[in-house]
Amino acid sequence: MSDQSQVDMVTMSIIDSTMTAVCREMGIVLMKTSYSTIFNEALDFTCVLANRDGELIAQAEFCPSMIGGVPLLVRSCVQEIPVDELEPGDVIVHNDPYRGGLHSPEHTLIKPIFVDGDLMGFAMTIGHLVEIGGMVPGAFAGEATEIFHEGIRVPPVKIKKAGKDVEEVWKLLLANVRTPRYNYGDLRALIAGVDVGERRLTDVIRKYGKAVFEKNVADLLDYSESRMRAELEAIPDGKYSFEDHVEDDGIENRSYKIAVNVHIQGDEAVIDYTGTSPQAKGPVNATLGVSYSAAYNGILHATDPSIPKNSGCFRPLRIVSPPGTLLNVDYPAPEVGGNTETHCKIAGAVIGALTGVLPDRTMAAEGATHTNFVFGGQDSDSGEAFVCYAIELSGWGGRSFADGNSATDSINGNCRVIPVEVFETRFPMQCESYKLVPDSGGAGKFRGGLSTQRTLKSLKVDITGSQMSDRHHNAAWGIHGGGEGGLAGTWFKAASGSDWLTIDKAFGKVSQSKWSNVTIGPGDSIRFQTPGGGGWGDPKERDRESLEEDVREGFVSPKIARDVYGVSVEAE
Amino acid sequence: MAGYLVGVDVGGTFTDFVSYNGETRKIEVWKNLSTPSDPNDGILKGLGRFEDPASIRNIRLGTTIATNAILERKGAVVAYVTTDGFRDVPFIQRGNRRGHYDITWVKAKPLVKRRHSYEVNERVMADGSVSEPLDEAGVREIAAAIKAEPEIEAVAVNLLFSYVTPDHEQRVREIFAEEIPDLPVSISYDVLPKWKEYERASTTIADAYVKPIVSSHVNRLRERIANAGITEQIVIIKSNGGEMTLEAAARSPIQMTVSGPTGGVIAGRQIASLVDIKDLVTLDMGGTSTDCAAIVGGRENFTTDFDIEFGLPIQIPMIDIRTIGAGGGSIGWIDKGGMLRVGPESAGAMPGPACYGRGGERATVTDANVVLGRINPENFLGGDMGLDVEAAHAAMAQLADALGRSKDETALAIIQIANNNMVGALRTVLVERGLDPRDFTLCGFGGAGPLHVADLMVEAGIPSGLVPNYPGQFSAFGFIMTDARVDAQRTIQLTSNNFDLDRANQALTLLVESGISDLNKQGYTERLQVTRSVELRYAGQNYELEVPIATESLDAAGAKAVWQSFHDLHQARFGFNIPGEVIEVITLKATVVSLAEKPELPEIETGGETPEPVSVRRVVFEDGEHETPIYDRSTLTSGQTIAGPAVVEEPVSVTVLRPEQRMTIDPWGNLLIGEIAGGA
Repeated sequence: MSDQSQVDMVTMSIIDSTMTAVCREMGIVLMKTSYSTIFNEALDFTCVLANRDGELIAQAEFCPSMIGGVPLLVRSCVQEIPVDELEPGDVIVHNDPYRGGLHSPEHTLIKPIFVDGDLMGFAMTIGHLVEIGGMVPGAFAGEATEIFHEGIRVPPVKIKKAGKDVEEVWKLLLANVRTPRYNYGDLRALIAGVDVGERRLTDVIRKYGKAVFEKNVADLLDYSESRMRAELEAIPDGKYSFEDHVEDDGIENRSYKIAVNVHIQGDEAVIDYTGTSPQAKGPVNATLGVSYSAAYNGILHATDPSIPKNSGCFRPLRIVSPPGTLLNVDYPAPEVGGNTETHCKIAGAVIGALTGVLPDRTMAAEGATHTNFVFGGQDSDSGEAFVCYAIELSGWGGRSFADGNSATDSINGNCRVIPVEVFETRFPMQCESYKLVPDSGGAGKFRGGLSTQRTLKSLKVDITGSQMSDRHHNAAWGIHGGGEGGLAGTWFKAASGSDWLTIDKAFGKVSQSKWSNVTIGPGDSIRFQTPGGGGWGDPKERDRESLEEDVREGFVSPKIARDVYGVSVEAE
Repeated sequence: MAGYLVGVDVGGTFTDFVSYNGETRKIEVWKNLSTPSDPNDGILKGLGRFEDPASIRNIRLGTTIATNAILERKGAVVAYVTTDGFRDVPFIQRGNRRGHYDITWVKAKPLVKRRHSYEVNERVMADGSVSEPLDEAGVREIAAAIKAEPEIEAVAVNLLFSYVTPDHEQRVREIFAEEIPDLPVSISYDVLPKWKEYERASTTIADAYVKPIVSSHVNRLRERIANAGITEQIVIIKSNGGEMTLEAAARSPIQMTVSGPTGGVIAGRQIASLVDIKDLVTLDMGGTSTDCAAIVGGRENFTTDFDIEFGLPIQIPMIDIRTIGAGGGSIGWIDKGGMLRVGPESAGAMPGPACYGRGGERATVTDANVVLGRINPENFLGGDMGLDVEAAHAAMAQLADALGRSKDETALAIIQIANNNMVGALRTVLVERGLDPRDFTLCGFGGAGPLHVADLMVEAGIPSGLVPNYPGQFSAFGFIMTDARVDAQRTIQLTSNNFDLDRANQALTLLVESGISDLNKQGYTERLQVTRSVELRYAGQNYELEVPIATESLDAAGAKAVWQSFHDLHQARFGFNIPGEVIEVITLKATVVSLAEKPELPEIETGGETPEPVSVRRVVFEDGEHETPIYDRSTLTSGQTIAGPAVVEEPVSVTVLRPEQRMTIDPWGNLLIGEIAGGA
């Protein structure tokens, strides 16, 4: 820790907000120039700045699942491409989950920032490329059993050298995916993002001078660290435990335990995952980067949101994650769902563990799935392959002071849902309905948020679909006496049939929520329901006026009002 | 031109007035307190200044009535009618959160109840074809259901893909006109004919939500103005900076959501043209917020990207103004870790900054300016309001003790942090759009803008500054210089490799005709000026860049030039382009303007090279304190030069000049600073 009396709190504050603005500008360039709807509509990417040692120094609020992975990512890159082999204008691309990455679709672009010959840090964009080859269009192969099924692995390599494209790397990357034109556009956007980050941070460094800049950044990390220590110090020492489950892995019909033990010791915390199930055969495993990121995510949710988000926040936190388990998977097991499905359940369990001591900073379980549906096919007019990654929104958990938000992205993402009019313009499927699911919010003094249900019909061509989801059996937990949230579900109806069947029944799959390469032909329909959030507190204590309004609005049925809340309310 | 032209800006605290006498070229400004319970009271009171009401030729009004109705949730009970299967779209929204890691966030509630949402059987597809015809009997049943709910006051209709094929929406409106003729109906095709169903729903519902309140407001205004014997020539300023008649405002009230702040941008544009500056950036700094906008090549920028609160978009054509929650009233505070922060909490008008002496105990940006000697406590609001200097010092001392710094250092730090927040806003309108601050002049107004112009020029790398006349009433001043303006736009799906010239030209012609007819209906028939443009992107992207179309219609060569302009613009804006890539056409736009006569601004007297200061006092700058000459703006004459440090005072504002800066007075009395004044 540097001496607080010598810290220039004013310059530090200004440099902090300026760097955050730089990250935001990187994100806007990325959003406006990228091709995939998962970038430009859903905003599934993040933009950060790191110092020379790979410590996160600033971030903008796009997708939070990626934030905690930054230090590991930079460290693994410079392990393979030493710093003295970097020169101005280089850009490194990387996606390998077994080299510090989060999951294969997540591509990291790293640009070193040199000022007058000195390496001062890195600009980084991390984004989810929809199509990366592998056994299914769209990477989320619910039935993958090794990482090679999940798409191309990209170790850290230079995609630009001294400002020039490395043609060989581009060729290799684009030859291994189904949608080269889209991947090209998205990679260009990710590079445009790091270019802006490099230019703008260089301006900042020149304005303050290298020494002043570095001193203030060091102070800023210390500052966040001391804020985080003060937060942890305020929590009574002790061991706080919680668990949740991933209901199956797509390969075997058994569930996997996520065990979380948070040890608060003075102004530090140890998040220990001992007791977690051994790693799965299927793709629900979390890499070490994901397990770190998820622990950080849970702690950041339960502490003061105004602390500047940088590596300083992570210094008082230790993570214990035994290898070979669901939360620290060994090569070459599959892992694509770990980042979207397992991350949010880990973070939720960290929050759940602390709810006894931090009731006003925690919530009941959210849906904790992105309902990832990926599909591909061939455009009937142009012949070009299309691939789409669509996420769905679920319910947030109830809190000590408010109901859970309905239809909200899970806490490891901050994605927007793709508009129906954009979706149908781009892909040959029709959205037949898109609704909230009444009674899906777990009952409680403050109920869980409602989930959604979407019905899609294939119009012209065969669609090859795959899904990576959860909570079809394992509902979002309520807390302090609150009820569970409604279950998720996926159903298929053939053009010729009239029954809605779960995917295991319709296609003979092991899992309803994780499956690969199902054909949805013209006239066939598929329906996705997401999980509702868990409730907070005894439903009998719910304020009568709120319950009556819920019934009038159709969020809660008169039957549930009577049976669960114990109040007779007539719907209008 | 005989008679007075009057601009009226109804703000939260004050209603500002600016009058221009066409014969004498004399401009007068005044203000009185706003009257929120009925804003018309404040308007009529201010207009009472004219001895002969008939001498008012034309009134142009900017008002926040529509915005306030939404922000305070005081609008109408709205029925929402949409395609079967989609009534929950306004409740689901887009699903992203306001920020990360914030467990306290509560999602915005839509301006409609779910129990007042109705679904109609019909379906239009993405290509505009009808896959299910409109169930007219079903529409009549919905009308009956709405009629049975006496609390419903307005109806919003939003059907999927209506921006491609509007027939179903238009037919629903016809049926409602027969069945429920007393209820105003907003259809999304009229309000926002663009894709993305949630954004269009939110905007259309907001239009219906404010319609009854705006109608009754403008009807009462028309009546009271007529009773007072004042002109019938009264118009309302739209969010796009154009004017519209009261009838048009009642029909399409959502157009006036961002009415007020546009005045400052229009005034800025006129001043830029007067002074012969092409690129100007406006900084309108008030008590609680600051608005920034860029004028590039003599034209303001437009956008449709606006959330009235997080998650509630209102996507109407508007002048692209960025607002941040930092102003003179922003409070300085020390966070848990000992870091000094400024805002977003504001002391507002009550209690106001500590120096207002109304019980405020926390140091604000205004208090910092008082402590540093930049604001003269004797001359605040022209001396109408005495300032409590001791209270400002006491508030600053508290912060200073906690920081372990002197009061002056603490006050300077507050100014620095507040300025950095404003530099952030300036960046979003300049650097983030690929505009170079070094080409710009910073035009500061609003009560607090002139105090910060000099510092902000340095911090944002903008070489020149300008403080116009009437900085405290600059928006109302802008209103006397507006034109009537209609922005017509329509989503059309075409691509560069398969471009249907006839279809594009037909659509353009229709847009121009609809714009002209809209203006004609409002009585604007003369000096019409038409501009056309197209929004483009690479096939696959989702955000567009706007490229002007220079000719009345496109031919093959013209289209080719448009594609090339897009590649060039993409390179300039984002640092790369993709030659040879297919370009998608998304929206065609036509803007029709009826140019109004502009006031000829009076020139001030010439004389004397160096003005005489009225006093000298201690003012603190970053490099220390200076015995600083103080000037009275009303005594300055054209051509005079002032070397910094200096302070120029006028009734509603103060302009500060840094030690190294130079200022000149131009023929109209504008204060020019820095490069534009021949200095650093």
